Amino acid sequence: MSGFGGVLPWARRTIVEQEQWISSEEFSAMLGICQIVPGPNIVNLAVCVGSRFAGIRGAIASILGLMLGPIAIVILLGILYEHYSYMAVVQGMLRGVSAVGVGLIASTGFKMMRSELNFPSMLIVIIFTILGASYFHFGLGWVVLLASPLALYLAWKKATK
Amino acid sequence: MSALLSLFLKFSAFSLIAFGGINALLPVLFDLSVTQEHWISSQTFADYFAIAQAAPGPNLMTVTLIGWHVSGIIGAVVATLAICWPSSIMIYFLQRYITNMQDPRKQKTVQFAAGALAVGLVLASAWQIALQINHSYAAYTLSIVTIAVAMFTRWHPLYLIAIGAALGVLGLV
Repeated sequence: MSGFGGVLPWARRTIVEQEQWISSEEFSAMLGICQIVPGPNIVNLAVCVGSRFAGIRGAIASILGLMLGPIAIVILLGILYEHYSYMAVVQGMLRGVSAVGVGLIASTGFKMMRSELNFPSMLIVIIFTILGASYFHFGLGWVVLLASPLALYLAWKKATK
Repeated sequence: MSALLSLFLKFSAFSLIAFGGINALLPVLFDLSVTQEHWISSQTFADYFAIAQAAPGPNLMTVTLIGWHVSGIIGAVVATLAICWPSSIMIYFLQRYITNMQDPRKQKTVQFAAGALAVGLVLASAWQIALQINHSYAAYTLSIVTIAVAMFTRWHPLYLIAIGAALGVLGLV
């Protein structure tokens, strides 16, 4: 609920530092897996943490706990938007926020790319993915399918280096 | 009902290819809900994206808002569940599989490969979404400045969002 601008830092503070449910190392390892598999990262993390303690029921409980509040708030905002989106001030505000939002997403991508730079041939996969998705407009499924063999091959070389 | 069903099936399928999370999925969501199905206009998509960024909670709230637009509260819940359940089931099993892998090189290989795909897809997504929602040089400048600040400082993203909102209210973006 208090996850303004992303839930992750807050999740870490609660789970690791305050409640001490799991150790910092275990949290990082879980997060590493959750960020690479498909699907919403934070939901994946909720499944990992929840199932660690109470199996499937724990996983479902964490997802519901994570989502119900924000869904209610965002629907409320959606209703407000329906009523006030004609106002120039609201339109301007949303334009500003969305421009920042895009920048934040790009910066996440660039931050993740930093760790790829120590094995530069992996950049081929990244460039192929970017061109395939945004220039040639292959569907996302195709991009993943076409890029995976090369990604796995290069990753194997990187891992055995 | 048919819109709700098609929303559920398509979002469920997206869930399993969303390497890099919802951020990587935004262009596909745009294609589906604006270009193909005409559920919402491109402006509404941009606004929902902005609302989801500014609201508390996970960044998949863009999905929730699209679902809400299609069929109210039920639509919001269905869309959110659809984007979560396939990947949740997958991670539930995959987590054990990856942590129990005997050969650490195999484990690393999977991590590196998926990591590279995620980087490419997130950057491609940012690029495509920027083309859809930024309509002025000022907006692109704001996006680029955001990248720089987020990369080289430790500011909380909420400050940047607040600054963006303020600049927008003043009519500068």
